Amino acid sequence: MYRVERSPYRIQRDVLYALLLLELSSRFGKSRGGFLWVLVEPIAHLLVPILIFTYIRARAVPGVEYPVFLVYGFLPFLLFKAICLQIIDGTNANQGLLSYRQVLLMDVFIAKAVGHFVIQAVVFLVVLVGLGMLGFHVLPVRPIELAGVIAMTFLMAFGLGLLFAAVASLVPDARAAIKILFMPLYFASGILFPVTRFPDHWVQILSINPVLHLVELSRVAAVEGYRPMPYTSILYPLALGMVTTLIGLMLYRQRFLTKVTM
Amino acid sequence: MIRLENVTKSYLTLRGRKVVFRNFWLDIPEGRNVGLIGRNGAGKSTLMRLISAVDFPDSGKITTSARLSWPVGLTGGLQKSLTGRDNVKFVCRIHGVRKSGIADKIRFVQDFAELGDYFDQPVSSYSSGMRARLAFGLSMAFDFDYYLIDEVMAVGDARFKQKSADVFKERLQNSKIILVSHNMRRIQKMCDIVVHLDRGRATIYENVVEGIAAYHAAGGVDGKRAAAIDAEDDELEAVGGTEPRAGASSGVAQEAAEADDAAALERRRARVARRTARAARQAAGGGK
Repeated sequence: MYRVERSPYRIQRDVLYALLLLELSSRFGKSRGGFLWVLVEPIAHLLVPILIFTYIRARAVPGVEYPVFLVYGFLPFLLFKAICLQIIDGTNANQGLLSYRQVLLMDVFIAKAVGHFVIQAVVFLVVLVGLGMLGFHVLPVRPIELAGVIAMTFLMAFGLGLLFAAVASLVPDARAAIKILFMPLYFASGILFPVTRFPDHWVQILSINPVLHLVELSRVAAVEGYRPMPYTSILYPLALGMVTTLIGLMLYRQRFLTKVTM
Repeated sequence: MIRLENVTKSYLTLRGRKVVFRNFWLDIPEGRNVGLIGRNGAGKSTLMRLISAVDFPDSGKITTSARLSWPVGLTGGLQKSLTGRDNVKFVCRIHGVRKSGIADKIRFVQDFAELGDYFDQPVSSYSSGMRARLAFGLSMAFDFDYYLIDEVMAVGDARFKQKSADVFKERLQNSKIILVSHNMRRIQKMCDIVVHLDRGRATIYENVVEGIAAYHAAGGVDGKRAAAIDAEDDELEAVGGTEPRAGASSGVAQEAAEADDAAALERRRARVARRTARAARQAAGGGK
């Protein structure tokens, strides 16, 4: 009888690789031409508002190319939304995977987060290249800062996702309520126009929304001459991301994320 | 050796915390077929979940150097959106099987499960029998030191059951089982030792008959009544009348034990005849 000995590192790697392939292929395999559709859907999601608000409603942000403004606003927003929702649903979907002893819930979370990060990254690259070919200045002016904003977005989405997942597993009905929170987020994050158009006391209230900070930071890092809202802070989303991730991991270790059984 | 050291396991329920094991110790000796018995709610399935690392203890340690299977025949582990083939690939990947090995496993499962074209269709389009065949084939494709079986049942026609029994028997030459069952005849046939769970404590019986007696005593059942219950279990299972756990019809383990004795075949035929007769009666009675 042969025996395959694997180091813990090797097992971890095998499992994450298998789960990542699973996540991507179950996305891609859903329908005929699934691979294309996975990309077409979010690209359309981006292109439609770009077309409407650039050419039909002809909105403008002074000193900034509007489509570029829009894309770099969508970047952290969609990334946050995709990863956060995936993790909230991670406890629900794929329960069967956990019957394999190599697979832990955290592996599922990580694979989902990374998988959707990859999908979103490809989508944005396609859109950016497209806009670039149309002659817009899409190259980020401060690429390293932009990478930092993306990393912060990932961290915050992961941490809040874990927290929400813990809440949803303790109070199953809360899952729907949490998802409803994501609907006004679109409008509260200043995606379509800068929040600075609102009166100041409104902006103060809106600045509670951490995603708004990420959106503004992303534009500052990518768009030449963009003037963010005055309350924009790096510290707020970063601290929130770190704190929620820590609390989320703590709850995970205490097994608050497993379903209430019996 | 599978060792549980000072294990405490509780579940959070809507009516507070329910403790299944408190400071629980158990050494399961090496190289023996283990029967895990106990009354409903004694913690058999929880213990199985802990051993198979589907679930984890609140505190304490579970260690082993043996390779343990996932719960055999488990259809919940299949990804419904993926094809049968992709499911096999996935399980190979998490078990560290490399490229050429994956092809071998795919061939084995493909031959075994007899899914035909469905092997390349999403599992969501399978019948429950097809899922069970795929899941069982997948379990048999890997070599383990222990197969963990929670009332595993082979699903399918008589020919497929025979085939499952044959493969399983072959596996048992090199491997051992840990079997959870309420069917004491099966326990007696398949197991070398018995672990009896009662009120959160485990007792190991080297003598299977003694263990079964303890189980019946704990349930307040005397020997004669017990034998009757066992016979009833056998019969009910044969006609698909009991569903001890998720979807069951007739035992692979039992079939494996019975496969080599000709009388078993005879008995099986009699059961099939009874089942047919019963079905006919039911049909005559207006489908009631």
